[in-house]
Amino acid sequence: MNGIRRYAKQFSLVMAILMAFATTFSVSAHAGMVGTGELIQQQQVNLDRQQLLDMLEQQEVKEKLTELGVSEDQVAERIQNLTPAELADFEQQLAEAPTGEGVVGIIVLFLLVFIITDMLCATNLFSFINCIR
Amino acid sequence: MLNSQGLNTDPDILKELVYLPGREGSLQVEMVAGARSHNMVVYPLQPDIETLLAEVSAGNPVLVMQNLGFDWWPQWHFAVVVGYDHQNQALILNTDTRKHHRQPYKVFHATWDRAERWAVVILPPDHLPATAELLPWLRAAHDLESTGHTLAAQTAYQTAEHYWINQPAPLIAQGNLAYSQKRFDAAANHLRRATERFPKFAEGWNNLAYALSAAGCDQQANQAMACAADLAGDRFSMENFQPDARSSDTSAACPKLPACAVETD
Repeated sequence: MNGIRRYAKQFSLVMAILMAFATTFSVSAHAGMVGTGELIQQQQVNLDRQQLLDMLEQQEVKEKLTELGVSEDQVAERIQNLTPAELADFEQQLAEAPTGEGVVGIIVLFLLVFIITDMLCATNLFSFINCIR
Repeated sequence: MLNSQGLNTDPDILKELVYLPGREGSLQVEMVAGARSHNMVVYPLQPDIETLLAEVSAGNPVLVMQNLGFDWWPQWHFAVVVGYDHQNQALILNTDTRKHHRQPYKVFHATWDRAERWAVVILPPDHLPATAELLPWLRAAHDLESTGHTLAAQTAYQTAEHYWINQPAPLIAQGNLAYSQKRFDAAANHLRRATERFPKFAEGWNNLAYALSAAGCDQQANQAMACAADLAGDRFSMENFQPDARSSDTSAACPKLPACAVETD
């Protein structure tokens, strides 16, 4: 058990990349039956997304976002556009976050993801970040 | 554990299933596979004590893993929680050879925590756990299906269909299972029910199209695929419709399809 945990980081990175590929292909067009496993996976992603959106509804989260000058709509839209791999990553980080630090932790996570994607020019929420391309 | 579900399993057989001679103990994987080979659903629980207690109060014994050693020198151990004693702050465990052993909450918590709070209930496919949620249940049922226990999986899907009546997934799963067994009429039947009750669920229409085509109902199949394409054009389209499986008899009465949910404007 400890053996596999030692490689959890590297392993999840590989999985995330694989999942990113898997979704790139599955979104484009679907030929064939939608398998049960695929269906479950897909519904899980929808559920995770909804849970994340529900968290946005918390008052504390809203306040923190206003403080940082990010509008709720922007964040909501960004969540809608999260890929399954990003979502799974989020869920994992949330699960690992110590209780009590929950809300603040979530915010930091949000911003982290936004900043990284902004750096890759995927979004443009923060003007102070110049994208690397 | 299996005995509590009314199965007559000889402890020796079970031991053989889960006991690895070289390691003097059994591993999670063996434990889980052992239960599956008895056509039981292995349902993983949320890692919190409330869920565990809810299952125990509902009469479902919970299989847990504990680490009796340290994080850096683990000693893994399986036990079955069969009850609890609130007054004395203790859980009642069947552990190694002791039955109804009382373990204080504190001790249990510490040892369970170190095993990442791994806990499962093992139930027959027509019996939902007290804290059941749709997706974990379906995943557990699908695990049964993919390990070849199709009858048990079918029952588990059916159980889900009756409990989560507002969810299309159990119906689709049953259709897919029948399709994979080449029972195309039955598959079409399940999937037609799915489209009837959830006319906006594009995956249902898509799978129905394949099942109908395999059952020899080309006209209806095209109709169903057209509906899937209307509902989710980015994922399904007529051009991509390449049915593969074919049944020899193009007999049977082709079913009449429910109306497509898309309003034509």
